[in-house]
Amino acid sequence: MKKIIHLTVFLAIIAALAGAALGFANSVTAPVIAENALKAERETLKVIYDLPDEAFKVEKENVSKTILKIFKVEGKGYVYKMKVAGYSEGTTFLVALDQNGKVVDYVAISNGDTKGLGSKVTEKPFHDSLLGKDATSNEILDDTITGATKSSKPVIEGIMEAAKYQAENLK
Amino acid sequence: MNRKENFTAGFIRENPVFSLYLGLCSTLAITTSLNNAIGMGVAVIAVLIMSNVIISLIRNITPSEIRIPVYIVVIATLVKVIQMLIKAYAPSLDTALGVFIPLIVVNCIILGRAEAFASKNGVLDSALDGLGMGLGYTLSIVVMSSIRQILATGVLSFDNPFTAAQNIFSIRILPEDFIISIFSQPFGAFCTFACLAAGLAAYKAHKEKKEKAMQKEAK
Repeated sequence: MKKIIHLTVFLAIIAALAGAALGFANSVTAPVIAENALKAERETLKVIYDLPDEAFKVEKENVSKTILKIFKVEGKGYVYKMKVAGYSEGTTFLVALDQNGKVVDYVAISNGDTKGLGSKVTEKPFHDSLLGKDATSNEILDDTITGATKSSKPVIEGIMEAAKYQAENLK
Repeated sequence: MNRKENFTAGFIRENPVFSLYLGLCSTLAITTSLNNAIGMGVAVIAVLIMSNVIISLIRNITPSEIRIPVYIVVIATLVKVIQMLIKAYAPSLDTALGVFIPLIVVNCIILGRAEAFASKNGVLDSALDGLGMGLGYTLSIVVMSSIRQILATGVLSFDNPFTAAQNIFSIRILPEDFIISIFSQPFGAFCTFACLAAGLAAYKAHKEKKEKAMQKEAK
């Protein structure tokens, strides 16, 4: 019994020290990692609208499981950072909607799906098929190249959710 | 074994990759470019030295029944810290190496050296062993990735891992018509690995034969 307690306490002390070391490393690196992520996000936003950093204002964060962030772009509309489910890890993307809910641009940030199976959402034909579509109606579902893949449908449904949110809350 | 022998063991005699066949999963996957190899090599050296030092320091107080879980906690913590540092200060390297940084935890070289060496030797010897083995691993993947990068792209290049898109050097070695792009694929990894491992085995066999002949002559 004494032996078991000794082993348990020893392992617990090692785990506690490991936790403390990780906590310290996290406190040092977390702000730098967050800053890097913001910088990368801004660079992606500039692919959509070539405007200075000040033009993008964070309107809301963590709106739903799908809508991670909403940026307001003065005079243009909104850009949504979304994460949707996919074939395996899903897709993170930015979609810009104008004030009427039409798709201005779409940029896939990361797609964890298998090439050929779920990666269509990162390719040009899919991007092009979205441009100018009204995301407030089912038109976008009917006219876009979905290819019935497990990645493209959630992306389109995500865009429709963003348009719905915009129509109900941001006007 | 003296300190010098202990330090140099990882280069050829006990080369972790081509002689002991350890850490092959990440070796085959990341040796597509020199950047990946140097980044991974530095991360493995840092983890190996620190894990060997810590395990050597606590070797006398670690109960033998739970030594493996203790080593795993130490190694996993160090890898996570290194991963956070890479993510913060070398984000492009983090993107390139991806899942293979956390997978350093299960790299057999690290647990192998902890169990076989650091748990039985002093701090300085363990640190030297970690450095030697880490350099041996790094040297192996640098050679392998250089060959694969040159054959697959015709170019040997190195980018600054701390800033995005800053090329340090880029030398075209093969004309574009002579590149063999399959060397960037798994086939190229297995092929290069097999040739290098066979080369090292042949060199070691040749050296051994020579030594035996010399011993015979001396008798």
